[in-house]
Amino acid sequence: MKKLGFVAIILSLLVTFAYAGGTDDSHTDSYTIATVVKIDGIAWFDRMRVGVEEYGEENGYDTFLLGPSQADAAEQVRIIEDLIAEGVDAICVVPFSVEAVEPVLARAREEGIVVVSHEASTQENADAIIEAFDNAAYGEFLMENLAQRMGGTGTYATFVGSLQSKSHNEWVDAAVAYQEANYPDMELVQNKIEEFDDFQIAYEKTLELLTAYPELDGIQGSAMTTAPGAGLAVEERGLQDKVSVVGTSLVSVSEQYLESGATDMIAFWDPAMAGRAMNEIAVRILNGESIDNGANLGVTGYKSIIQDAAKPNLYYGSAWVGVTKDNMNQYNF
Amino acid sequence: MRKLLKTHESYIAVILIVFSLIVGIINPKFFSIGNLFGLLKSTVVTGIFALGVLLVLISGEIDISFPAIGVVSMYITGTVFEAIDFSGPTILAFLFSGGIGVLLGLINAAVISTFRLPTLIVSLGTLSAYSGFVLTFIDTRIINRLSEPVVVYSKLAFFRRTMESGQIAELHFSFFVYLALAALTALILRYTIIGRGVYALGGDRQATKRAGFSIKKIEYFIYCYVGLLAGLAGIIHSAHVRNANPFDLVGGELNVIAATVLGGAIIGGGRGTVHGTLLGVMLITVINNSLILMGIPSYWQRFTTGFVLLIAVAIPQIGSVKSIRTPRRVRS
Repeated sequence: MKKLGFVAIILSLLVTFAYAGGTDDSHTDSYTIATVVKIDGIAWFDRMRVGVEEYGEENGYDTFLLGPSQADAAEQVRIIEDLIAEGVDAICVVPFSVEAVEPVLARAREEGIVVVSHEASTQENADAIIEAFDNAAYGEFLMENLAQRMGGTGTYATFVGSLQSKSHNEWVDAAVAYQEANYPDMELVQNKIEEFDDFQIAYEKTLELLTAYPELDGIQGSAMTTAPGAGLAVEERGLQDKVSVVGTSLVSVSEQYLESGATDMIAFWDPAMAGRAMNEIAVRILNGESIDNGANLGVTGYKSIIQDAAKPNLYYGSAWVGVTKDNMNQYNF
Repeated sequence: MRKLLKTHESYIAVILIVFSLIVGIINPKFFSIGNLFGLLKSTVVTGIFALGVLLVLISGEIDISFPAIGVVSMYITGTVFEAIDFSGPTILAFLFSGGIGVLLGLINAAVISTFRLPTLIVSLGTLSAYSGFVLTFIDTRIINRLSEPVVVYSKLAFFRRTMESGQIAELHFSFFVYLALAALTALILRYTIIGRGVYALGGDRQATKRAGFSIKKIEYFIYCYVGLLAGLAGIIHSAHVRNANPFDLVGGELNVIAATVLGGAIIGGGRGTVHGTLLGVMLITVINNSLILMGIPSYWQRFTTGFVLLIAVAIPQIGSVKSIRTPRRVRS
């Protein structure tokens, strides 16, 4: 029995060497890259795992994804500590709390591990930070879609989760500015209605909005709950064909309203692509390559990334995905 | 007649009418049938919760665990009925959710009654325990495909008509469920021994005991009934929003308690009526859902809500300061 175990170890070592050798033609090393996410087991990060694992298989790296089983900042820090002890080549992280992981990421970098973070534009201790998109560009994307569905004319209203939400306000501000510059025939009747990330409030506020402005043609949502909440109100009032609803959401949340036509388009970013982009950046840094403004990561949505002018290690993709009734079946999260 | 005008409830009714008239003058669309139907539907979930809160307040306690009971009942119902692909009568979903509510209310009652602890403290604990239980042991996923009977219920509406603007207006069936539960609660409070016991308990605990009431029985009744109402409110909410979200409802408890107090229930206990609660809930709903109609910019809406609420709470007090200062009596 003991002998058998020994043989197995030798064999597995041989396989490992052969495997590492086999990829030598394009890379000097087979890197081990860990991606640490906020919480393991939810649809969003399951989707990211698909991207991370496929990237590894396609390029011959050992890539894997892990995260705490509960949303817990301390647990995430412990996982990163374990990875440092294991001696991985790079750590990609989607921090639960940007501040909480700063010390452990600093230590990882001291040990020579490359650190790439995501959804963390204020991260200090990272070799590179990659964001799915620039907030202003995303707001303009939403408005362009709303304007096209409204035929560039008519009245519309915007929602935010809360007036304190930085990203929501940036999306809406950019969207309204874009409308004023490009679609002068459209009119904003109520700006930044708060719905507190609450489906019920989004629904009630939309009903009120439809009463106050019976001629309303469009609604732009920011929080995950606006597109379905407004969709339900539009559906109940029988206005599927008249009022266009666009906003940030997920297929799993808005499916039934996309189907009924009450919600016209939802947008989000695909975590699988974000996972690929993080790993690609890690590999490039490990290879000693520099990443410049306009670099092509070879990942959908990250084919011409923008380098932040003030913070050179911060990059933006343009990785939003617009989903309608026609292509919603491609996304299972 | 003079006595009627002096009650807290009549003040709230007057404020509700005056406020509605102001909104209606600023924007006559307030009185459109679609808006009124929408407002009535919006009162349902808050209102059913508030009926439970009313009982607890009358008994002289404060319970904040009811949204957790609502979410647990609704989410377990959603999960189970999704798993068995339920296709029976809708009433079963209501009974199931209400039943879980009663069970959780029973736990509250057992702890409160056995250890003679203040309800506020106990419910503070059970609030996080119940909602934590769901997230840990059941699931954290939002169920977007409810079972067929619940979906049918979610579209069950009456008086469907097309308004001038081409929009459809309809009154949801839930409003009648709400009215029936309100009538039931009023009957219990007014005409049953246990209902009178709830008032007595809030008036004076010792005197209630000496009068021959079983305090234990009254407390078990209150918290099981609150559980039942919360379970029903949960499943109705779930049907209204057409999903079952384990992160829902919790956080809305203060709004419900505010509506009940606005309706004349006194936090010290012994006073409060069902019709007052209905008015309080209606007033809060109208205030929360008229600011866009009045054309108030988003940045001003929070301020306006708070300001109008303050006025609504203050005005009845001016008229009834005297009656509050007199020794508390058992009233209905």
